[in-house]
Amino acid sequence: MKYSLLLIAFLSATSVIADETPTSNIIINCENPEKGTACQEAQAKINPMNADMSAENEPKEDFLAKGSVARISVIGQGVAPMNTSSPAQAYALAKRAATADAYRLLAEKVKGVRIDGQDLVKNMMVQRSTVRTTVQAMVKNANVVETTFKEGLCEVEMEIVLAHSQFSN
Amino acid sequence: MRSRDGNRTSTLSIFKLILFFYSLTLSASEYLISYRYVVKDAILFNEKLDISKSMHKCLGNPLTPLILENDGNHNLIEIISQNEEEFSSYLHQLGLNVKHSEFNLNNQNSSTTVLTLKTTCFKVDFNDNFVRIAPLK
Repeated sequence: MKYSLLLIAFLSATSVIADETPTSNIIINCENPEKGTACQEAQAKINPMNADMSAENEPKEDFLAKGSVARISVIGQGVAPMNTSSPAQAYALAKRAATADAYRLLAEKVKGVRIDGQDLVKNMMVQRSTVRTTVQAMVKNANVVETTFKEGLCEVEMEIVLAHSQFSN
Repeated sequence: MRSRDGNRTSTLSIFKLILFFYSLTLSASEYLISYRYVVKDAILFNEKLDISKSMHKCLGNPLTPLILENDGNHNLIEIISQNEEEFSSYLHQLGLNVKHSEFNLNNQNSSTTVLTLKTTCFKVDFNDNFVRIAPLK
């Protein structure tokens, strides 16, 4: 009797331990670079849980590493109005418009765009489709690299340099 | 004991010194400048530069200055209008608020971009050959 009780306790303990251990104990070492991807696929097939875990544990790559700089370059376009009194005025006005466009592109790249869309469907037909995008940002220290003016279209190439130290505080 | 006349001269000289330094502080000019321009559908729609003399003393330290050529003129509006491009690019360097909205209705697009420099106090030093303009922050 005493031995049978001990046996039951031992069996229940082993079953509890078996539940806690992973479904597979096969471990494939993927250190060999030649077999790299095939090896990882095989590992994922054997134990998908482990594959997910390894993806989560991978160190996230910083966009802007410490001590490095990122250079963001855009080209803004602007058009001269039809009723200008001189080509010089047309150039000046088109350049302003192109600069504003370049600023907008920089803001979009660095800060992002808010997009709202709405479609109205009536009797299975699209009646009205609207997309509204907005950007709001403060842009400092943007430099004009190059300005070109051809056939009424002005293009301003603008760049901004982002340093890690600007975001570290 | 000192005579009253002797005390009077020293008091006058101190008073003159105070007046001199007070006049110096009055001649150091501070201006409030704001700038805004609107671009609609890639065409410049409106541009506005407001310049006015500050009615009270501004606080803050001057940042990187802009030096414009001057021939003894003490009118800031005239000086800026003579060097409009240079001043405009300097304002861009200082930083502008960008507000852009784009609207697409049934595949037809329209956009509005507003660039703004909020009202900022600038310290302006007029010299014989040049003017030094620096924003205070």
